[in-house]
Amino acid sequence: MSIPDETLMAFADGELDPVTRDAVESAIREDPHLQLKVAEHRALRQRVESAYAAELEDEIPARLLTAARGATSTPGLNVISLEERRPPERGAAQPQRGRGWTVPVSMAASVIVGVGVGFFLWGRQSPLVQAADGALVARGRLAAALSNQLAADSSPGAAVQIGVSFLAKSGDYCRTFTLGGDSPAGLACRRGTAWEIQALAPSEGVSGNESGYRTAGSALPESLLRLMQERIAGEPLDQAGEQAARASGWKPAHP
Amino acid sequence: MNTSETSQNVPEQIVALLPRLRRFARNLTRDHHDADDVVQLAVERALTRLEQWDSDARLDSWMFKIVRNAWIDEVRARSRRAKVFVGADAGEQVGVDSMAQHTDMLSVQAAMARLPEDQREAVSLVLVEGLPYREAAEVLEIPVGTLTSRLARGREALQLMLKAGES
Repeated sequence: MSIPDETLMAFADGELDPVTRDAVESAIREDPHLQLKVAEHRALRQRVESAYAAELEDEIPARLLTAARGATSTPGLNVISLEERRPPERGAAQPQRGRGWTVPVSMAASVIVGVGVGFFLWGRQSPLVQAADGALVARGRLAAALSNQLAADSSPGAAVQIGVSFLAKSGDYCRTFTLGGDSPAGLACRRGTAWEIQALAPSEGVSGNESGYRTAGSALPESLLRLMQERIAGEPLDQAGEQAARASGWKPAHP
Repeated sequence: MNTSETSQNVPEQIVALLPRLRRFARNLTRDHHDADDVVQLAVERALTRLEQWDSDARLDSWMFKIVRNAWIDEVRARSRRAKVFVGADAGEQVGVDSMAQHTDMLSVQAAMARLPEDQREAVSLVLVEGLPYREAAEVLEIPVGTLTSRLARGREALQLMLKAGES
């Protein structure tokens, strides 16, 4: 029985309907030549597949991650906007003082490690921090700033300000950030392709600041500084160091 | 439209697809830089059109289609701008590299780069990305029969090139 090559190929790919498949199966059982052809199709498929398998491991450029997470300016999307971190307006019930966020008193005490999922997710449409695989990871503008922004780029008005970058004893790169206004400050470390939030803490001087504007060089909360000192290996990165780390995609520098 | 729950997750699903989208785009464009540009464009387009995605359909197929259309648009725009035939050089380049390095991976990729575009698309979607014929045909907007014959010709050509390379 002669079987068209396309049919053999489809057989090898498991693409035939059951009736045709059974017919082809019994035909090739008798015919070593057909068996060889099917084996060739499978071998080629396998070879092509493995020739491209390694590409899936390539580091994804930050600009693509940022684009996929919707951090574009096109209206009508899940636009990641820092403004949205503020709780939704609830008419007249909205307090006059307009503090952008409120830390539960118990949390405000010091470093908040492993905070609950609900915390900081009020943006809903556009969280800056999200729980993923048991860790909190930076999202949206926060993730983009951690990946792309240098400390020197952090103008006082910027949505996210990057503080100190350093190589941790674990071999991962870590960076401190503040979110402007009286939003929290935090420490994030690069794990794989994500920035894991290690700690969040209220910005220094929250209570005294109601303008939502902070001058340059906002101090890091004590608690974050202590955590940083515990983790840091050597000195903080200078600007060249930051640039080099960014160029490497913040790949961990394990010894 | 009550898809907020679904579309919430889509950006993360797209993030998870990025490695495959890039790989497919590289096969289309035969140039890593072009591939990333095309993927970025496609992702941005996809996010503005989430409501067009039928959530029963496979997100990967839908995204592959958008990537491919983004590349088609880019090629058209370039030929309008400069009448440059895109990709030929990149294809040659891969061929030269593989001669020097002789690893199987590079031989396969070099052979792929030399396939005619329609066959390369079919091979890339089915053999590299693992789409069923029906899904691949859908991405390319062609009947399954056409997909099957492009795939068969593409495989035959690959087989010949790879055998020639070995002897």
